[in-house]
Order: sequence, then C-alpha cells, then structure tokens
Amino acid sequence: MKLANLTVKAVLLSVAVVLASVSSFAGDIKGKVSVQGLKSAANITVYVDTIPDKKFDAPSQHVVVDQKKMEFIPRVVVVLQGTTVDFTNSDPVGHNVYWPSISGNKKLTHNLGTWPKGEKKSFQFNDLGVAPLLCNVHPEMSGYVVVVATPYFAVTDKDGNYEIKNAPAGKYTLKTWSEDGKPTTQSVDVSGSGATADLTVKK
Amino acid sequence: MKNRVLNTSISASLTAVVVVLWVMLASVPKTSAIPAFSRKYGTSCTTCHNNYPELNDFGLAFRKNGFKFPKDDETFVKQDAVLLGSKAQKEAFPEALYPGEIPGTIPISFRYEGNLVYNGSQPRQVVTNGGYVPRTDLFVPNTFTIISAGSFGPNFSFWIDDDISAGATGAGGGLGDGWLKYNDLGHFFHLPLNALNVRFGQFELDLPFTNARTPYLSGYDSMGEGALAQNACGGTALVCGTTNNPFVLGTPQRGIEFGGYPNNGNFVWSVAVVDGTNSAYGTGPALTARNTKDVYFHTSYQFNLERDSESRHAIQAAGPTGPHDHTSLRAGAFYYHGRNQQNFGGSVFPFTGTIEDPFYRVGGEVRFKYRSKFELYAVGLHSHDDNHLVDTVAGTVTKTNAVTSTGGFVVGNYWIFPWLIADLRYDFVNSPSDFANQIPLTEGRTRNRFSPGYQILVRANIKVVGEYQRRWGVPYQNGTATLFYRPNTFVTGIDYSF
Repeated sequence: MKLANLTVKAVLLSVAVVLASVSSFAGDIKGKVSVQGLKSAANITVYVDTIPDKKFDAPSQHVVVDQKKMEFIPRVVVVLQGTTVDFTNSDPVGHNVYWPSISGNKKLTHNLGTWPKGEKKSFQFNDLGVAPLLCNVHPEMSGYVVVVATPYFAVTDKDGNYEIKNAPAGKYTLKTWSEDGKPTTQSVDVSGSGATADLTVKK
Repeated sequence: MKNRVLNTSISASLTAVVVVLWVMLASVPKTSAIPAFSRKYGTSCTTCHNNYPELNDFGLAFRKNGFKFPKDDETFVKQDAVLLGSKAQKEAFPEALYPGEIPGTIPISFRYEGNLVYNGSQPRQVVTNGGYVPRTDLFVPNTFTIISAGSFGPNFSFWIDDDISAGATGAGGGLGDGWLKYNDLGHFFHLPLNALNVRFGQFELDLPFTNARTPYLSGYDSMGEGALAQNACGGTALVCGTTNNPFVLGTPQRGIEFGGYPNNGNFVWSVAVVDGTNSAYGTGPALTARNTKDVYFHTSYQFNLERDSESRHAIQAAGPTGPHDHTSLRAGAFYYHGRNQQNFGGSVFPFTGTIEDPFYRVGGEVRFKYRSKFELYAVGLHSHDDNHLVDTVAGTVTKTNAVTSTGGFVVGNYWIFPWLIADLRYDFVNSPSDFANQIPLTEGRTRNRFSPGYQILVRANIKVVGEYQRRWGVPYQNGTATLFYRPNTFVTGIDYSF
C-alpha cells in the first residue's frame, strides 16, 4: 500500500515537473517573409510586440553599428528598449550620425556629431520606434535602429527567412517593420516545439 | 562727364556694348559638378559641393588628388576600373608597356542651364537708336554642356567639358577645358605628395576664384575686361593707339601648367606657360595673331582657423552638427605677363615692323570661410598694357601712356539652410581706357554693379538660381541733353546635371 502510494506520488510529481517545464519551455519562432511590391525580402524586422505586464532588462552588451565604405553596417539593427548602440567609423573620411525623429516624433531627433576613423560614439535608445540613421556628410547613407519592447526579434536574410530564438511558450503578436513596406501583424502561438509563422509584407 | 555731349550713334553703341558684354560674360564656358563621380563612388553631389559647382574642402582635396579620394580611394570605388595591363607589368617595364587603367564606365555627365531674363525698361530714345532689348526672354541663355572627367590610374587625371549648345537653340558653344594632368611628379624628386604636378592642354588658369565654376549666373566683370587705347588702330584715325588687346583673364587657355599643393593643400602654387586668349591660331586677324607665349603665376596660403586640432587636420572639419568647411583665411597673389603683337610683316602699317605691346595683370585675393555657413571672397586686379602711338601720316611709332584699369569683386555667401543660399556681390571695373575712348559705360565711368542673388538646391543636382544685377546709369542722348538710365536685369533659371 505504501509502495503504491509512493509510486502514485512519484508519478504525480513527475507529471507536475513535466507540466511545469512545458509551461516555461522556450521555443524558436521561424518563418519566411514574402514581399509584394518590394525589391527584396532582406532586412525586414520581425519582432514580438509588447507583452502586457512583462518588462525586460536592457542588455549590458552594446550593439555596434559601423560606417564602412560609406554605408551603415548593418543597415538595419533591432535592439531591446534601453540598449546602448556604439556607432563606429571604419572609413578614412569623417562621418556624422543623426536621426531626424523616432517613428516620426521629431522631438526625439538627435545628432551625435561627426568623428574620424577609429573613434566611436554611443547612444542609449530608450524610446520605442524606428530611428532612421543619416550622415550629413554623405546624404546617400542610410540605416535604421528599430527599438522594440521585447528581446524576441530577428532581421530577415536575403531570402526573407528569419528565426527568433528562445521565445517562451505563449500567444503573442508578431510584427514586422521594413524600410518600404507596410507593417504587418500576425498572431503566433509558441509551444514547446516552437512555432512557424510566415508573413507577407506589402508595399 | 554728365555734360559730355554724345551723339546718337555712340549712345546706341553703348547699349549694344552693354548687351554684348553681358552676353559675352554669360557665355564664358561653364563647367560644373560631375555626376559621373557620384556614380563611380555611389555618393551624393554634396560630398564635394555645398553649392555646386563650387567645391567644398573635401571636393578641393578630391580634385587636387587627381579626382580620387584623398585616402584609400580604392575602398570607396563602386565601379571598378578596367586595367590596361596587369599591375605586375610595372616590373617588366621598360620591356613592356607601363600598366594603366580607364574608368569602368564612360564617365560622362551632362548639365543644362536655362535662364529667364527680365530687363529694366528702356528710354524711348535708346530703343529708337537701335538699342532695343526685349523686356523678357525665356530660357536664354540656354546652355547644354557635356562633361567628362576622371582618372587613368594613380597619377593621371583628365577633364573635358564642352558647351554643345550655348546662347540659344543650336548655337555653338565650344570647348571649355580639355586637359591631362600628371599628379605627384615631385615624387621623382622626393618632394612631398602633390607638391609638383603638371597639366597639359586647354584649361582655365589657376585663378583665385574660378570663372568657369562660379555658382553665379554671371561671370566676374573684371575677369572679362580687355584693353583698348584711345583712338585704337583699326579705324580711320590717322594717329592711333596700338593697344587693342582682347585678352581676358577668365577664359580657358592652351598651355602647360606646373603646380602643387604641399602642406595639406594650405600652400598652393602654379606657373603656367600659355598661348594667351589674344592669340589667334593660324591666319587670324592681323591685330591678334602672334607668336609669343604668356606666363601666369599664382600662389596662395590658407590659414586654418579651426580651433579643434583634430578638425584642423581632417580633410573636412568636424563639428557637433556635422562636417563643414574649415574656418579659414586664404590670401594670395597672381601675376600674368603677356605680349600683344601686331602688324606682322607690316601688314597694317607698311612703314614699320612688328609692334609689340607687353602687358600684365596683377592682383591679390582674400577668402574667408566660416565653416559651411558663410564665405567672403574678394579680388583686386590691376591691368597694364603698353601702348604706342602710330602716326600714319608721319610714319612714326612712339611709345605713349599705357592703358590701365583696375577692377575686382567682393562676394558674400550665406547658407540660410543647407539648400538655401543668399549671396551679394559687388563687381567693379574702373577703366580709364574706356573713358579715353569716349565710351563711358556708366555714369561712374566704370562697370560697377551690385548683384544680390539666391541659390536654391531643390535637390543635390537641381538648382533654382537667381540674380538681380543693379548697374550704374548708362548715358543716352535726349536732344542735346545727356541723360542716364540703369539697364538693370533680373535673371533666374534652372540648372541641373546628371
């Protein structure tokens, strides 16, 4: 009898442990972004939108955006709110970095100044939205910092593939941002085995 | 002067002279920004121009370096050059051809300029005497220019520009500059980088302020001033002056130029041996064909006034709001010496041989730049032409008073926004020779004018430009009275290149 009780308790405990582990299981969200009317499916940001009652600490590690051969590298970077971005210059000409707004809010304009090769300037992005990076020495240069509320984000490769790592199980809203396309929203249900979500971005 | 009685033919010719001068100045070959470089480097016009075709500090460094980025040029090139021989072929030289290269795509650019002209009203007498000019004229002058420029490897650079159509529909323009330059010839003599370069072909002299690349709608009056003696030979006068020199400083010339820009371009020098603009090739008019060569010298030094030491040494100064031209002061001087020869073989005056009238132009310049916000330019110019008196009755040639004039200009440019520039210019030409010839072009005996203007960069390669030219009064005859009117002009137009 005692043995039977013990066995039942062990089974119940195991089930509880498994259930507990399943509820906190982190899966990957994978998928492909198709485009309609856009030249390329590359550099499209896919991210999990704000999760109610959930706050994330900004990473202590800085993100780097370089200026090389008169281009911002990477062209599109996604960061968690509060992340510090280091802007470097690998060119033998001076570069400037400024953004005229964040998601159209001109009050959030900022000019980091101009600096020569080998130096860097840093900025902590605390406001959600998209900061279009410009260089007023070379007006053709263009880059973007996309500031999001969760650490679950990715940027598509040249074929439109993306992979968001370690998203906890649950139901979320997936969003996209791209230079020329309209934002797309899609629900995603992440289970223990992750989730697949294909999206379409239209011009 | 105001009481001088002018006959009607003179007053008519005055107006004609003003118009001809204006057309002449407006038709000075103009070169411009080079969109081919934008394509080659994948960069905007504003990398080299704050107000094209005027070059900013980076643009100047780019041009001086033989149309290449001053540092690590290869890393910026988006269109690779075509090699005319492997680089390793250098080692086989002189048994093999020295390797070179040509641009990967044909470096051709185009520029169009079309202006609307609004002239001030003319007195009836001026119109009656044949000096009529329409009040308005749409898109004249109307100029289409083809430009090709680039580099042939690390040392050679080239430039060709030609106004295919200028003045009006189908009217021929002509070659502006067409030259080949070898950069860093001084390398063979262990001189600093670009301290000694050589340029061959047809080019605008290394003027203090380029007449060909001026951002203004009209050329500088002093750069277009010729010299004419009282009763100049060529008419019916029995006693005439030999100075009849059509030479003007602002026109491209054929020749060879040595020059350099050591010390980071702060020191600039050039010496050119040229044909002179008063030299007609082959069987030109007897009064202009000649064989001698002219010499031009120009030097200037720039004092870099940037306080920040890093900015001072950078190609472009860096400030918190971006790059800008260095705050600087440049001062310089130039000297041109030529010889006007006439009467070859006694073609005009059989009783004497070739008549030689040496002449010179000497002047100085000051340029102040306050970052990319404000510029102030000034040039002073003095011209001197030797003059002889030919007595066709007595058959004598004697030296007489030289023909001289002074001139120059002051210009201020202010960037209200990066795309909106206000400018104010004052041109002055004080030419006693004009007065001596009874052609006082204005009541001030000079061709002074104020020219406030604006430049709007609609895009980096599209401009709307305007200029109001307010002149001194020009005399005309009303019965026995000499009156004056101002032939003021407002010019505005479009200018684009691609």
